[in-house]
Amino acid sequence: MTAIEWIVAILCLIGGFLSLVGGIGFIRFPDVYGRTHSATKSATLGVITVMVGTFLYFLLAEGMFSGKILLTILFVFLTAPLAALMVSRAAYRTGVPLSKLTTQDDLKKKYPEARKDVH
Amino acid sequence: MTFQVVLNTVIAIMWAVLWNSYTGVDFLLGYIVGIFILFVLRRFLHFDFYMRRVFAAFKLIALFIKELIMSNIDVVKVLLSPKFDIEPGIIEVPTQLKSDWELTLLASLISLTPGTLSMDFSEDKKSIFVHSIHVPDKEQMIREIHDTFEKAIMEVTH
Amino acid sequence: MFKVLLMIALFFMSISLVISFVRTVKGPTMPDRIVALDAIGITLIGVIGILMILQETIAYAEVILVIGILAFIGTIALSKFVERGDIFDRD
Repeated sequence: MTAIEWIVAILCLIGGFLSLVGGIGFIRFPDVYGRTHSATKSATLGVITVMVGTFLYFLLAEGMFSGKILLTILFVFLTAPLAALMVSRAAYRTGVPLSKLTTQDDLKKKYPEARKDVH
Repeated sequence: MTFQVVLNTVIAIMWAVLWNSYTGVDFLLGYIVGIFILFVLRRFLHFDFYMRRVFAAFKLIALFIKELIMSNIDVVKVLLSPKFDIEPGIIEVPTQLKSDWELTLLASLISLTPGTLSMDFSEDKKSIFVHSIHVPDKEQMIREIHDTFEKAIMEVTH
Repeated sequence: MFKVLLMIALFFMSISLVISFVRTVKGPTMPDRIVALDAIGITLIGVIGILMILQETIAYAEVILVIGILAFIGTIALSKFVERGDIFDRD
């Protein structure tokens, strides 16, 4: 194995591990807000690490510069926070309950009518 | 700032014309020389050196990558520990940033850092509601966000 | 050796895909399912990225771009639908 292959393999392994951690978070978190954390952070970071590895492999080992892979990385980076914000806000407004471990809820005063039946 | 960029580009074009070779490398070299000239002349022409903002932007990116790695390790530790004791909560973080652009950047940076997730904005755009998976101390978290991201963004835009 | 390491990464990602699928079917609330579908789309990008290295082809670059865009638009549309029952704001 050459040095480039080692770097690419390690990047892909880190990405796969982060994806796996995101999957474990899907099982272990008690409510939808925690699951949004694991889906949009660990999974997204894992995929970005894998794509950086792919880009480096094609650039250094094969000598091909692929702008589309770079564009994918940028796009995932830009859209992940927006998707997380939309989903968690929709969940809060439709009255999905927070888990029992939750210690404080400052957002309650903004949407009092949406949370009336929950607490 | 626009005036300085135009001035810098003019210096770069003049550099290429004087060397009588019109390639991208020459233009880049002229641009670097222009940055140096503007840096020397910043006292006489009474303006704020614009490359300072570029340096601040690079500093913001470096800070973001550092925070990304550190907090990612924290989240992995929380998720893989056998005892799963977390205290999630939604916190209202007040901010001094004014324009929509800065607020969007701050919310995106908060969301991309593992462990925190921006959920909503207040009506008067003065605070962001942040969901965090572990908040033992509310004041300390607000202070952390103020000291890292908000300060770095203000250095870029002001 | 190189291929074996990539296969291990692929194995991790497939476990993550299976868990996301279970959450999509089981998920107690609607936002749970939306989040799980988003995670499936994002993880698929990584799987295809590793496949590109294994097969040494760059032909799938368009595929991952389209999957990324469709996953994002689907998530936004579904969450707006859940929030108001309306995908486009008319007011």
